[in-house]
Amino acid sequence: MHRSLFNILSGRNTRQGLWGLPLLVALLISLWLTVETTQFATAENLFNLVAQAMPLIIAAIGQLVVVLIGGLDLSVGSVISFTTAVLALDQPAIVLIPAVFLLAALIGLINGLAITRFNVHPIIATLSTQYIVLGITRILRPVSGGTVPEIVIAAVSGSFLGIPYPVFWGIVVIVAAWKLLYGSRYGLHLFAIGGGIASGAESAARNFGVSDRRNIILAYMVCSCFAAVAGVFLAGRIVSGDPNVGLLFELDTVTAVALGGTQLSGGIGSLHGTVIGALVMALLANGMNLANVSPFVQTAIKGGILLAVVGLQSRKKMGL
Amino acid sequence: MAAVLANPITRRLLRIPPSYFVFLVLLATLWIARPNMLNLNIMGIFIRQIVPLGILVLGQLVVMRVKSIDLSGGGIILLINYFISSGSFPGASLPFFVVLALATGLVIGLFNGFMIGNRRVSAVIVTLAVSIILVGLVQFLSSGNPPGDVPKLFNDLYNTKFLSVPTPVLFWILLTAAVSLLLSQTVFGRYVASVGENAEAAHFSGVPVQRTVILAHTLAGLIAAIAALVQTGSIAVGSVRVGLDLPILAVAATILGGVVFGRGDGGVWGPFFGALCFALLFVVMTVLGIDEPGKLIAQGVIILGAAIFYGVRVRTP
Repeated sequence: MHRSLFNILSGRNTRQGLWGLPLLVALLISLWLTVETTQFATAENLFNLVAQAMPLIIAAIGQLVVVLIGGLDLSVGSVISFTTAVLALDQPAIVLIPAVFLLAALIGLINGLAITRFNVHPIIATLSTQYIVLGITRILRPVSGGTVPEIVIAAVSGSFLGIPYPVFWGIVVIVAAWKLLYGSRYGLHLFAIGGGIASGAESAARNFGVSDRRNIILAYMVCSCFAAVAGVFLAGRIVSGDPNVGLLFELDTVTAVALGGTQLSGGIGSLHGTVIGALVMALLANGMNLANVSPFVQTAIKGGILLAVVGLQSRKKMGL
Repeated sequence: MAAVLANPITRRLLRIPPSYFVFLVLLATLWIARPNMLNLNIMGIFIRQIVPLGILVLGQLVVMRVKSIDLSGGGIILLINYFISSGSFPGASLPFFVVLALATGLVIGLFNGFMIGNRRVSAVIVTLAVSIILVGLVQFLSSGNPPGDVPKLFNDLYNTKFLSVPTPVLFWILLTAAVSLLLSQTVFGRYVASVGENAEAAHFSGVPVQRTVILAHTLAGLIAAIAALVQTGSIAVGSVRVGLDLPILAVAATILGGVVFGRGDGGVWGPFFGALCFALLFVVMTVLGIDEPGKLIAQGVIILGAAIFYGVRVRTP
């Protein structure tokens, strides 16, 4: 028992990575905010916090799926902006909502195909789709504006039994991701492929009959679809389409994933770690806002955290 | 498909960097659309605008030869522009600013190199994070407003001409030749080539892999500082947005020039033409009336296309 607790806290000998420590950090920040400020520990601020954290939690779960197979998706931010722009196109919701997910899946498919079929490095492939999608978004909506369908706005702003809808969004997304990663054959395959790639044996999973190409393509499609869910949520919050809403979001998701103890080289990581990582980011933003820290400094601090958490992970090989 | 790729003539053609083809296509497009624009004076102005990018490409190609990447150029350019334009160093002379810029680039490049070579952190993450920190810092120091004016001497130097060729363009060509000599004639150049080809084999052959990677990144930082000086001379004012899209364009130009993670088929002149392609591309797009979103899409398509071009080539046995 003592040994396993130590392993969880240190992240040693585990597939889940180091997630105990970020949980501790999250608790410490909450404790500090509760003591230091009177506004923090109110139901209103906490529900607000959940609503603020939700897009990051959703998109970070998508990023986790890709990171688990040793990839990285830098197009997440653009897909989020793109989703809000498409939703504000002034068409009926019955057309727009399926369209958003189809388009996101298409972007993921292009990423996956470029990576698996054409041998392009994941970072280069997703970097180029980031630019292409951003360009299309700016054509659709040069500046923020338009209105999203009523149903999207209603889905994020109401409450049920005194609990605001964003909390339910979180529960649904996390349960779905839990089922995908830990309750399905696909999740098992993800860990198998990632573990092989991390230890330098790219063909390990294939040798055991796991189709790596198809699963990797699917991972990028899942990631883009999660980004689209985050985009729908954000569109409901800001009520309009905004081409810049997802700017630098991909780096926040990478920070959240890495903060949650997931190894960027693949194969090691956990859903709960990622959710905790995203919560830590949201808590920090909340705390810095309450402490009136300049938004520019907040950006710099986020960059510093990214550098620190990724810098602390040791890797076997140098590279991208 | 496979048979075509295995054909010796196709394989020979595939070894030529895509930048040469793209350059010719763009030149032909411009010649058809606006033949009167193809004179030395107008082209000189367009090419002069691309010089900061062209210089940044030189650093990018060195780090990409050792299978790394440097996206921190935007932050370095912004920080140096801030140093020069904010008036924090009243009465400072040009040599002082040059030394300050080079020292800044050196320190940031060394830090990147240490994190990537020694700590083995993902190069994209490190350099992006460094860039974000620097941009956040500069925007905080200048409270989001453009800082101030640049000493007049910078712009005067930038506007000089030598035998009717703009000096910045000449400087770019000389610097490119210097990097070309560095990579082809020195021990460091050999190390860079061998680390890019196979880091493990290089290590077991006695090549100091880690030191080579750190040096490559330090060099890239220095070159980014030079690009920052030229960029500051070109816009002649302080800015909080200048140069932010340059690193990604530099990656695109380098890939277009046939230098992709570890492979250096394009040498130094392939990426040189890659940068020239972007000079022409912006002219062509302006002529055809395509705005900023179209440029973003073109950048993405070029990076993806060039990377696929390379990926297909590697696949062939």
